[in-house]
Amino acid sequence: MKLAEVIERLGLEVLVPGDLGRRVRWGFCSDLLSDVLAHAQEGDLWITHQRHLNVVAVAKLKGVAGVVCVRGLHPSQEVLAKARKEGVTVLASAEDAFEVAGKLYGLLSP
Amino acid sequence: MNWFRADLHIHSVLSACASLEMSPRRIVTEARRAGLDLIAVCDHNAGENGRYVRRIARGSPAVLLGMEIQTQEEVEVLAYFEDEEACFALQEELYRHLPKIPCRPDLFGDQVVVDEEDEIVRTVDRLLLSPVSLPLEEVVRRVEALGGLAIPAHVDRVPGGLLAVLGLLPEGDWPQGVEIAPWTPVSEALARWPNLSGKAIFRSSDAHVPEEIGRGWTDLYIAAPELSELRAAIEGKGGRLVRPGPEVKEV
Repeated sequence: MKLAEVIERLGLEVLVPGDLGRRVRWGFCSDLLSDVLAHAQEGDLWITHQRHLNVVAVAKLKGVAGVVCVRGLHPSQEVLAKARKEGVTVLASAEDAFEVAGKLYGLLSP
Repeated sequence: MNWFRADLHIHSVLSACASLEMSPRRIVTEARRAGLDLIAVCDHNAGENGRYVRRIARGSPAVLLGMEIQTQEEVEVLAYFEDEEACFALQEELYRHLPKIPCRPDLFGDQVVVDEEDEIVRTVDRLLLSPVSLPLEEVVRRVEALGGLAIPAHVDRVPGGLLAVLGLLPEGDWPQGVEIAPWTPVSEALARWPNLSGKAIFRSSDAHVPEEIGRGWTDLYIAAPELSELRAAIEGKGGRLVRPGPEVKEV
């Protein structure tokens, strides 16, 4: 499924668009960036509470489809500026990680 | 200059997770037993017991005030101070940014300030072992603004290690020094995280019970066991050296 469609179906807020035409492979939930580095895969939509600048670097390194900041948490302007520069999609949801992940699973599971 | 043996990460009874045997008096006794020249008492988001440890030790060993701060990202950072008032000022700032979670001693343990006579000064009711609502960079900025030195604690460890939590070192000049976990061989840390090379690498005990004090240490080649020298050693100034001791085997 295309990222744009996932955004629409989950009602996500777009903080930094990046490439909305990308295919979302699957989802990945983690707040430990070392875990994301080790286990996330290219095309995953990454659901997290972390808002540190390193989120952008890790997202870029892993080639995730985008980052979803949950539970109403928004990254700082500095982080968003970096994401724009790196072309990393940053999304936000007022819902918690469980709800976002559950809905995403419903969309993507065969 | 001389070699000084340092253990810069020791918890006291003010940490709910530490043994009630970790009174200031006992910490000094064990530090002397372990042949330490410089120690720092680093409780979670609090530095108060360091004052009493310092009074009891009277220079043997030298004592830095300190604390182990949990940032908003749940990264743990060690902050060291020579000046007590600066340490306590930071402790107050952090307390204002701590979630209001009561410390239930039956679940978490006790948080006690104990003086040089083994008398209880006060107990802290709010759980100190919680992340403050301040980002990592802001915590480091506040430590440094108060004249302190900040280094990330056990960077390779889950939970709380900078590299475990944030995956990579942050952009910028900080940190110049890092602590690795007591049980991680230096060669292993460097192989796993190559960009630690060039950083001053520290090992400490992260002691929570008396017997653990001095199980991990760092030898410092410095002029005197004090914060300014520690800082100079991290910066590699004037031939000063930071040499981490061997990893702890029994875990």
